[in-house]
Amino acid sequence: MAVIETVPADSEDTRGSSLPRYLALKAGGALTSLALVIVLGFFIFRIMPSDPAINMTRGRKVSADEVERLRAQMGLDQPLLVQFGHYVRDLFTGDLGTSYVYRRPVSGLIMDYLGPTLLLTGIAAIISIVLGLWLGQRTAWRRGSWFDKIHTGIALVFWSVPTFWLGLLLLLLFGGGLHWLPTGGMSTPGTHEGGIDHVLDVARHLVLPVTTMVAVIYAQYLMVMRASVIEEMSADYLTTARAKGLREDLVRTRHAVPNALLPTVTLIFLTLGLLIAGAVAVEVVFSWPGLGYLTYKGLSAPDLPLLQGTFVVFSAVVIAMNFVADLVYRVLDPRLKAA
Amino acid sequence: MSHARLRRPLIAVAVAVILSLSGVAVTASAEADTAAKGDPIKISMTGDVDTFNPFTAILLQSTGINRYQYESLVGYGTESEPVPGLAGTWETSEDGKTWTFTIPDDRMWSDGEPVTAKDVVYTYTSIMKDDALQAANGGLVTNIADVTAPDDRTVVMTLKSAQASNPGQEIPVVPEHVWSKQDPETFAADKDVVGSGPFTITTYKTGQSVELKANPHFWRGKPKISGVTYVAYKNTDAAVQGLKSGEIDLVDGLTPAQYNSLKGSDTITRSAGIGRRYQALAINPGTVDIDGKPMGDGNPALKDPQLRKAIFMAVDKKTLVDRVLEGLGDVGQTEVPKSYEAFFGFGEGHEEVPFDLDAANQLLDDAGYTQGSGGIREDKDGKPLKLRLMGRNNDPAHAQMADFLTSWFKEIGIGLDVSMVTPDKVNEDSTLGRYDLYFTGWSLGPDPDNQLAMNTCASRPNADGSGNTSENNWCSKEFDAAYAAQHAELDEAKRAELVKNAFSIIYDAYVSDPIWYAKSLEAYRNDHFTGFTKQPSKDGVILNQNGYWGLYGAKPASADSASDDDGGLPGWVIPVGVVVVLVIAAGAVAATRRSSTAEDRE
Repeated sequence: MAVIETVPADSEDTRGSSLPRYLALKAGGALTSLALVIVLGFFIFRIMPSDPAINMTRGRKVSADEVERLRAQMGLDQPLLVQFGHYVRDLFTGDLGTSYVYRRPVSGLIMDYLGPTLLLTGIAAIISIVLGLWLGQRTAWRRGSWFDKIHTGIALVFWSVPTFWLGLLLLLLFGGGLHWLPTGGMSTPGTHEGGIDHVLDVARHLVLPVTTMVAVIYAQYLMVMRASVIEEMSADYLTTARAKGLREDLVRTRHAVPNALLPTVTLIFLTLGLLIAGAVAVEVVFSWPGLGYLTYKGLSAPDLPLLQGTFVVFSAVVIAMNFVADLVYRVLDPRLKAA
Repeated sequence: MSHARLRRPLIAVAVAVILSLSGVAVTASAEADTAAKGDPIKISMTGDVDTFNPFTAILLQSTGINRYQYESLVGYGTESEPVPGLAGTWETSEDGKTWTFTIPDDRMWSDGEPVTAKDVVYTYTSIMKDDALQAANGGLVTNIADVTAPDDRTVVMTLKSAQASNPGQEIPVVPEHVWSKQDPETFAADKDVVGSGPFTITTYKTGQSVELKANPHFWRGKPKISGVTYVAYKNTDAAVQGLKSGEIDLVDGLTPAQYNSLKGSDTITRSAGIGRRYQALAINPGTVDIDGKPMGDGNPALKDPQLRKAIFMAVDKKTLVDRVLEGLGDVGQTEVPKSYEAFFGFGEGHEEVPFDLDAANQLLDDAGYTQGSGGIREDKDGKPLKLRLMGRNNDPAHAQMADFLTSWFKEIGIGLDVSMVTPDKVNEDSTLGRYDLYFTGWSLGPDPDNQLAMNTCASRPNADGSGNTSENNWCSKEFDAAYAAQHAELDEAKRAELVKNAFSIIYDAYVSDPIWYAKSLEAYRNDHFTGFTKQPSKDGVILNQNGYWGLYGAKPASADSASDDDGGLPGWVIPVGVVVVLVIAAGAVAATRRSSTAEDRE
């Protein structure tokens, strides 16, 4: 995952336009992207050379007839365009198809795995954002100090550490070694669901995966916020603020930080979507029953409906977050509102 | 409020959160370490579950769990011999075509209903009549013409032709009174399951856990443990840590490194059971499709059996077992692993090709492969004898073996071009004959018929790789006759000899050199559970058996065997760790304070 520094590319065009027009433009863009994703999602997985029917029956005694029957069951015996037609038709009714491997509707499977992923990435994202932004503006304000050097140093070290390795290390120490925290899963089997015990149990299971994820991702927020605040620090309005007799703290929090937040907020929403897709490594290390892992399993069959489904969902989340970023940007930047 | 004032409460909150979390953690670790009496045994589940519907479940994890839920008519004993399942006795007619099974009165479903012959007829005919229900066991009923129930206690099966393997084995029988009310193709059967085995599923949480409870009506007697809980682990390293911390009681599928890392703990017992899988080096003898047309791009020089024999001579299996498997395996002979003793080993008149580089060089000299430049021999067309070797990139053992082979092959003047690729690519290229050499391997069931059948001429694939799967892309009339002979032999001792002979014919064709049978590496908490019955009973496996013996025999460990040593870090680590954390925290607080005063001065 790379640090993304971005402002909406077309912000110039929409400057000064009315809100409905702005919304329509952005929504149109989002829907076009989604349509492209749907088309791409169908064909991209069919480029893969392996045949699901042959792969799934490998290692067992099956006759050629049985394999053919399986192919027919999966609809693989029909021409590609016919398959695509069915796929699009079903999509409009919310039907993402039936998984080859799990023999269940893909939408149901995704719902089963989406919750845990949202929980994990949501909490990790909130902590990383708060931590990253807070440290970012502090380090910028004291650029070159020991505080700055230590915190940017630590953040960059964690950023460069392979997620899998860091996760396994924490697991080894706090799980298998000290026995402080569970070594995997989202809850202890047999815990009664819904009670306070269950909530605490899930919280305990969250500690290690969330810590790993936060350690690896907070650096990007720190660095962007830091760069952004540094850029504002030489601005004339800060001199004005100081001239008014404001204390340094207030100059920073009331004037520099709000302006520096602009590019950062866009980044936050853009990365939220990517976080969900990027949680695979953490989910595998900590046996978290999430969507990233489901996708990874889908690749081995290959389970085409499952892959298409998760691809569309992941992409839809990213597109939706982009759309939200556009909206928030408009709210935060008064220049875009001046109609 | 200024930031300086805000900071203090923030630090206080952070400290409170850390303290409460460690409190929760410590309480929980205390809970995890003391498995209460009556707790189910917790087993790590690293495989995937497709479905628990026994008609359609294919993946190993699901079929393995289903073995605990559903009895077949006839089961496999601890030595993989046929033993009573739902049927107490069975008889075969003289022509071998009619099998009669008798179900005793004590066979019950877990809901207390009696098991009858009608349940068996329902299960078998459902598979035979409905294509959709053949996903899991369709191949087992192709030779069955008819299944009937003359009365509630008797099942009569009529076969199309005589077969040595028992048609009552392997197929899980389901209760008609439950399944006839459902659509058997889509019924998930993953909650409050009615079965006939020692344990049945109560709940299944997708991707998280499967809970089974002991069946009080199991005909061999209720299990001594209350149940079994499978806990999903997506990597074995984490599962090993779970075993150390006491979160789980039993782990399987360990690598040699993980297995060795568990050495020396009083509370963890390791078990290296003889495996059911062979690992081999396959040599492309010139792949031919079902219509007799050449397929793939195997090096034509490999059509010469003498060259293939020389390759066999250049593989030091003992060294590979010792160095790659760290000794945790048995040296390979034929494709039958050591766990199936009756069929293990060479047939009469066949013997192993020994590792002998000098003899291999001599053989190649005699066969006319002259030395070329750079120490590489030339084939009979004068081309350098360079072969490709393909392995799976997800199996570290393949790359290690390739290193050894490269150096041995160099000594007999054969160059190797090694490539490690995805398992899919290996599957596809091997099916289509696009290889010279590759690492292959299969797991065998107790009856070797299937494995042999894959080597018959009829099992060759279509030109596009579809259709049947050939194990070694090789076909011989002599072998086909040997296969047919064992297939119809009803006398067990005679059949065993015929099976050994058939596997020896494959060996003597030099198309597949079985390198080893890796041990199945498992480990369990002996302070929580003991008494696991292995299959084979002497040095076999606990999980992944052809049966339910492993967990059926398990019992809770007696209180006095529980010990304080839980295989975790040494005791000094905790206080030292706490001190380190405190020093870091104090340093951070001091740094923040100093910087804030500096800032205030500005």
